[in-house]
Amino acid sequence: MGRLYAVEIVYRGIFQKNLAKNISRAIVLAAHKEGKPGISFGRYGDSPERNGIPAKAFAIVATDEQTLEEGMAKYEPTQVDVSICVDDTLFKGVESWAWYGLQPINKLVKPGGTLIVTSLEEPAALAEMAHRKEAPYQLAVIKAQPSFSGLWVYKDDHTDVRILGAIARVCPELFSLASVQEVIRKDTKDELKATSALRSFERVTTYEVQPTQGNPEEPYKFEMPKWHEMRDGIAIPSIAPGHKMKDPITGTEGGFQPARNPTFKKYATRTMRPVVDFDKCIKCTLCWLACPDSCFDVTPENLYDANLEACCGCGVCEAVCPEPNCVTMVNETHFSDNSSQWQAYRKDAEGYKANLASLIATRPERSHGFRFRGQYEEQVPAIIQAAEAEQQKQTQA
Amino acid sequence: MATTDRELAELTHHKAPHKLDLFKGVKKLPLEEYFTSGHRTCQGCESALVMKLMVKAAGPRTIVLGSTGCMYVANTTYYSTSWVVPWMHTQLGSSGAAALGAAAALKALMRKGKFKDEPINVIAFCGDGGGADMGISGISATLTHPDYNCLILMYDNESYANTDIQLSGSTPYGAHTTFSPPGKTKRIMHHRWKKNFAAMMAAGHPTCKYVATVCMSYPVHAMNAVRKGLSIGGPTFIHSLDPCPKGWDYDPMLSHELGELAVLTGTWPLYEVENGVVKLIGKTRDIADGRVKRLPVRDYLLKQGRFAHFTDDDIDYFQSKVDEMWNKWVVPGVIPFQKHLDEDRPPA
Repeated sequence: MGRLYAVEIVYRGIFQKNLAKNISRAIVLAAHKEGKPGISFGRYGDSPERNGIPAKAFAIVATDEQTLEEGMAKYEPTQVDVSICVDDTLFKGVESWAWYGLQPINKLVKPGGTLIVTSLEEPAALAEMAHRKEAPYQLAVIKAQPSFSGLWVYKDDHTDVRILGAIARVCPELFSLASVQEVIRKDTKDELKATSALRSFERVTTYEVQPTQGNPEEPYKFEMPKWHEMRDGIAIPSIAPGHKMKDPITGTEGGFQPARNPTFKKYATRTMRPVVDFDKCIKCTLCWLACPDSCFDVTPENLYDANLEACCGCGVCEAVCPEPNCVTMVNETHFSDNSSQWQAYRKDAEGYKANLASLIATRPERSHGFRFRGQYEEQVPAIIQAAEAEQQKQTQA
Repeated sequence: MATTDRELAELTHHKAPHKLDLFKGVKKLPLEEYFTSGHRTCQGCESALVMKLMVKAAGPRTIVLGSTGCMYVANTTYYSTSWVVPWMHTQLGSSGAAALGAAAALKALMRKGKFKDEPINVIAFCGDGGGADMGISGISATLTHPDYNCLILMYDNESYANTDIQLSGSTPYGAHTTFSPPGKTKRIMHHRWKKNFAAMMAAGHPTCKYVATVCMSYPVHAMNAVRKGLSIGGPTFIHSLDPCPKGWDYDPMLSHELGELAVLTGTWPLYEVENGVVKLIGKTRDIADGRVKRLPVRDYLLKQGRFAHFTDDDIDYFQSKVDEMWNKWVVPGVIPFQKHLDEDRPPA
């Protein structure tokens, strides 16, 4: 009986599909160079993927064919040696579109295993964002802005090769740096990429996460329907009509809050969220009208409050809002709760405004795909340079 | 079984549709949602917006039938739904048959006294694959039955988007899809021009009283089109162009803007054919009347990753085809007949 290695890649559907495919493919090829057979695949339950909805790809490698076959009999691994998360906002949890409920990002990481993440956040902050895990595990942070692009045009910012270099460091039994560099050279004919893998191998630092660290909340889940409860003709109840909203201070009723699908939430789909400056709102209705997810609750005074259970963070509201700085998209890593912004504003308008100003001032850039031809070519050199500088600072410290 | 003339007349009796007043502006729209949150669509999905505004316009007494596509798979996944109004799935090519069948069943049940006699809207939707490719015969047949009140709405994201972007009869020239990946030696793998579907439905079915093109970047017009389609009587058809962040490859934030650009570049003309009379709408009318200058298609194409491989020649060719729509067609933007035939050769 040989040894089985499992690696999962947790990524944003479509935005990072090609990135995840490149990583899982190269893992298998690099292990193959050392005589270990393997297979890489995307999880069927995530297909067809949707922009932003979390998805997974796997790479399974074994020391011999028989062990691989045995490992593959289980379609999805229950434990992985290395878990790779290519967007740090996924640390809040993963609600795949094929599941009922939220799963912690570190769920499959085996005790003592490693979770690799691309992020600009500090390791301790990331560890707090993820759910608590009973056994300790390693966190390996690659300092980088999460790489987002689309189905057709790939943003070639070296994220894939940097992750491959980091794997060679944290799990040398799987493959060596030399093997993965050989694969990169053969695939891309780009020496700079092989160097990127080496730099990442040299500089990646790990951080031990203890069972006392992390979000203590129980991830939410929903009751699965039992077979004997299912109705004839696969009929299910529709959603109830909505209701009026109530002001938390005055108790006035008015506006409208739609009822929502109780078994699928958008918390884990979101990478940014809209923050609303209610004093600037001119009540033009456009954010409410143009939102594909009907996420805006209409308050009694006709303000529009983005309900964070339903907001998927597309940013259409910011794009259609005619008032400057009225709706602003802010990186999801800045928030630890999902409560109503309008209620906070009603209870303490001054405090809300001060918090809003600091959020808008400190928001880091996020990129969500193709905006114009030539954009990635403009962005990539700057990203690589910033990452190099950041890594150097880290090694010196 | 013998059928008397009276019974026959009753069977085919044209049931008078109810009146739906048009919305006067965004501030007059109802607050209630009949298609709500918690669907598994992409970030910035304009087709989900079509569903939301379509039923918002139709109101609570509506039955929706959906053929297979994104709006079936993503909205009713794993025993859950976002629909507030009754909704039923129908097969890929059968939105026409489903619309007609539901309208006929309601009529029969009301005639027999098994249902309260009241106006109930019937809307069947389909994607461009389920409509312009597979559903065309069923939709066409339905549009020839003047006795049944129903609306067929085609949401067109220009590919089979649900199954990861295969090209459809609605995919524009040259676009990158799973079936037409641009290569090193051959750049353009899709040489067919998009079907002119709404006009085909209007021109081919003279008894159909209402056909319209809409885009959700112009929501009030789109919602009023739905209300007209439901209240004019008989079967009607609406064709909606939906920017698709997944298949068109763009930042989801730009969904609204790309819909506007499709109209402003003249690529997607907004018009309606009401009782046989063609009327251009909004910005499209302004373009036709010369009040607004048509934007170059380059502004629209280069914001989408699916056209990122286009050379200047390809953009020029695309522009020439759009110019042709406006300068040479008998009814500009609508009916593609020309007085003279020109040479039409795409660049290699």
